Parts: sequence; structure tokens; C-alpha cells
Amino acid sequence: MAISIEYVVRETGGNLWRNRLMSLAAVLTVAVSLSLVGAALLIKQGVSTATSQWQGGVQLLIFFQPNATLTEKRSVATQLGQISQVKSFFYVDKAQSYQEFKSLMANEPDLLNAVTETQIPPSYRVVLKDPAEAPSIGQIFSGQPGVKTTEYNFGAIRTMLDLSSIAQAVIIAVALVLLLSASVLILNVIRVGIFARRREVSVMKLVGATNWFIRIPFMLEGLAQGLVGALVAMAGVFGIQALFNYAINHFNVKLLSGFVITSHDVLVTELFVLAVGVVVGAGGSAIAVRRYLEV
Amino acid sequence: MIRLEGVSKSYKAGPKALTDVNIDVDRGEFVFLVGSSGSGKSTLLRLMLREDKPDEGRIWVAGKELSQLAPWKVPYFRRNIGVIFQDFRLLPNKSAFDNVAFALEVIGKSRKTIATQVPQILDLVGLSDKMGRLPSELSGGEQQRVAIARAFVNRPLVLLADEPTGNLDPDTTWGVMRLLERINRTGTTVVMATHDVSIVDSMRRRVIELDHGTVQRDQTRGVYGLGV
Repeated sequence: MAISIEYVVRETGGNLWRNRLMSLAAVLTVAVSLSLVGAALLIKQGVSTATSQWQGGVQLLIFFQPNATLTEKRSVATQLGQISQVKSFFYVDKAQSYQEFKSLMANEPDLLNAVTETQIPPSYRVVLKDPAEAPSIGQIFSGQPGVKTTEYNFGAIRTMLDLSSIAQAVIIAVALVLLLSASVLILNVIRVGIFARRREVSVMKLVGATNWFIRIPFMLEGLAQGLVGALVAMAGVFGIQALFNYAINHFNVKLLSGFVITSHDVLVTELFVLAVGVVVGAGGSAIAVRRYLEV
Repeated sequence: MIRLEGVSKSYKAGPKALTDVNIDVDRGEFVFLVGSSGSGKSTLLRLMLREDKPDEGRIWVAGKELSQLAPWKVPYFRRNIGVIFQDFRLLPNKSAFDNVAFALEVIGKSRKTIATQVPQILDLVGLSDKMGRLPSELSGGEQQRVAIARAFVNRPLVLLADEPTGNLDPDTTWGVMRLLERINRTGTTVVMATHDVSIVDSMRRRVIELDHGTVQRDQTRGVYGLGV
């Protein structure tokens, strides 16, 4: 099958230009939906970073001195094992803690530069049978050799955690719905475009065009629309991130403290947005063109 | 060149479109398909073009048994068949030249081939001075000539025509018919469905009459109606 690149480029470009209003509609649909999906993902990641220490139902943190000895840590572990109120506990070493610290403090480079991994305290994360016991159990350990401090999740964190798990579920659901509606919209926009050109398609078939010959310009058209839409959405995601950071830095909202979107989160989100835009664009047009290709 | 053996076809709604049709057309023949509306002429042409498959029976066109033809081979089969229609089916936003060139582009011909073959064929149909015009700037007869040029540019073995003169006035009709005769003389088999009594009567070619989906009459050098 000989398809000249020149033909494909000319045909795709011509179609995009001829249906420029439709193309614009498709691009905007992709851009808006994917921006929203991207924003939802950023919020989800932000919330999950902010509460990372408290995930898994952890209610009590026991921080060690950075130079605490193995014996001191073992002593704490043994005691934890003997307390009937303790449901479970696990150790987080310096390296893990440092990673956590880095993502929590991503917005404060000065602090990040001032602290090295060796200064970060390792800790035990403790899950209790009854969260109300956290202060009294924390009391036992504060002041013990090697222990720097204890922290238990006071009301605000508890609230935030509850809110965040609900929020995350809602956000994921919204993102899925948005993604689905974006796909359907793109498919429809391309379908309308193809419907307008069904005559052209039928003539192509009459003169013996192969299905791929007909399909490729349409798919490239969808791909181009998805790609441009995704690029706009990527810019949108950057904008939304900037907005978040501004809000976090300028309004002292307790609930937002620790709400951090790392550059890694942004990168992942951007790549996701790009991939979805491309797949939805090309895939949508392939599906849309299929029914006109039945021989 | 074309052979139908016991071909039957029915659509979901309505009676059988074709019942046990047997037809044999040799290479280079010129055949008129006549019959009232709904007699099955268009169905027959659709089957020959493999736009549809028969319920029963077998069809050979240009050496291919159509029911055995894999779907992906259908486009290649169609490159041997030219088709023209009552409504021309030109692409409205392409010039006469581009409409014809399109048929060559689609089958992957080079620009050089296109640049030489398209003017030749448009000259053959008498439109060399109107190559740059859009279909809307051409008369009905001229549009049909463009369509014929597009159908013939690949030098097909078979040319199928579904009421090609149905939208044309008598003078223009004759121009188109002379063109089809000329194409037929190059060895292309022509099958033309028509309602036009005067054409059929004066050309004295083979006539196959369909009535309610069956072959009523198959006459060499026939006329439109009976009783001659």
C-alpha cells in the first residue's frame, strides 16, 4: 500500500483548515476536560502528600534523635509491643523520612537546602486501637533515651485526613467522569466532521481506496486535535499549580498547611494529560471513522 | 467478464430484490439493464461492485468470485471497475482536474503519472478547457463527463453505469452515450442501467430486462419494450 506522505499531510492539513470551527471545538473540548482532569489529579496528589505521615491510620509518631542508638530504638519497639492499646507499628528510617521531608517542604527550598539526610529523625509510626489514647501513650515515650519528640494527630489532622479521603474519592470519581465525557465529546466532534465528509469517504471507496488510506488522514486529524488540546491543557495545569501555590503561601489556612504539589507530581500529571489527549484524539477518530468504512 | 449464477438477494424490508438471476456478459460487451423502478437493476449493480453480497448464488466480475473475496481485497478489486451514477458523485470542493486526480491518488499513483494522465483523459471527454472548474461551475453533462473521466482513468475492465443520463437533457444524453460507446470500443465491458427508451432503442445493443427481481428477457440487439 503506497501512501505518500505528501498526500497525507496535504489531506490532513486541508481537512483541519476546512473544518476549522469543528477542529477548534475539538481542541477546546480536550483542553478544558484535560485541564480539569489534571487539576483533579494535582489536588489528589497534594492532599495525599500533605497527609502522607498519617496514612494507614497512624495516630502517633515517635521521633528519635538523629543519633539515637539501635538499643534505644529496640527498647521503644519492645515497649510498643507490650502495650495492649497498640494495634500495630512500623519503623520509618532516615532515607524514607528524608524523602517525605523533601516532598513536604518542596515549596521551601531554603529549608530544604539547610537540612541533610543525616539530620532527619527516624521514627515509629503507631496505629492505636483507640485514637483517644494517643496523648497518654505518647507521654510514656517522650523523654525516654533517644526519643526526640512524640506527635499525635490532634483534631485538625484527623479532620483533614477524613476530609481528604472523602475528597480523594470524589476527585477521582470526577476525574473519571470528566475523562469519559472528554472522550465522548472528541469522538462526537470527529464523527460530525466525518459525517460532513461521508460523501468524500464513499467516493474514496468507489475508486478503490483502502481503508487505511481513508482512515489515516482522519486519525492524524484527531491526533492533531488531541495533541493541541493536550498542550493547552498542560499550560492550564501549570496555571492551576501556580494558583494553588499562591493560595497556600498567601492565605494561612490551617487545612492547607502541608498541602504540597511537588514538581514530580506536576510532571506526572502533565505527561498523563499529554498521553490521554493523544490517545483519545487518535482513538476517537479511528472509532468514529469505522462505521463509514464497512465494505 | 461478468457471470451471475442463481443469484438471489432480499433486504429486510420488502419482497425479494432479486430471484435466481443468471447472466453472462462477455468481455467488451455493451449491455443495457432495463426495467421499472424497483425491478432490481440497482441491486444488481451493487452486487457487481461488491457493495453488497447476494443471499444465494455466485458472482464473478473481472475474474474474481465476489463472495470469496476477502474484505481487505475489495478496494483492489474495485480498481478494475469504473462506476458512474445519476447524481455524478463528484467531490464538490475539488476541481474537475482534482476529482479525476483523486482516483489516481487513492491508488497511490505518482504525481508525475497524475500530471500526464489526468489532462489526457479530460481531453478525451472533451473538457480540456475546463479542468480548473468546480463541479458547481459545470453543467450536468459536463459533470457527468468528469465522472466518466474519473471512472475510466484507471482503464477499468468493466464500467458500471447506474442511470447515467437520468438527470440530463436529450442532447447532453447523446454526448454522454457517444462517450460510453467510445470507451466500450477500447474493450471495456459496459453495463448500464437505464430508463431511457430512446437510447436503448436506437443503440441496438444487448438488453436485459428485469421485472420484480427476475430476468424477463435477454436479447442481443434488443429494444426497450417488447413488441418490436
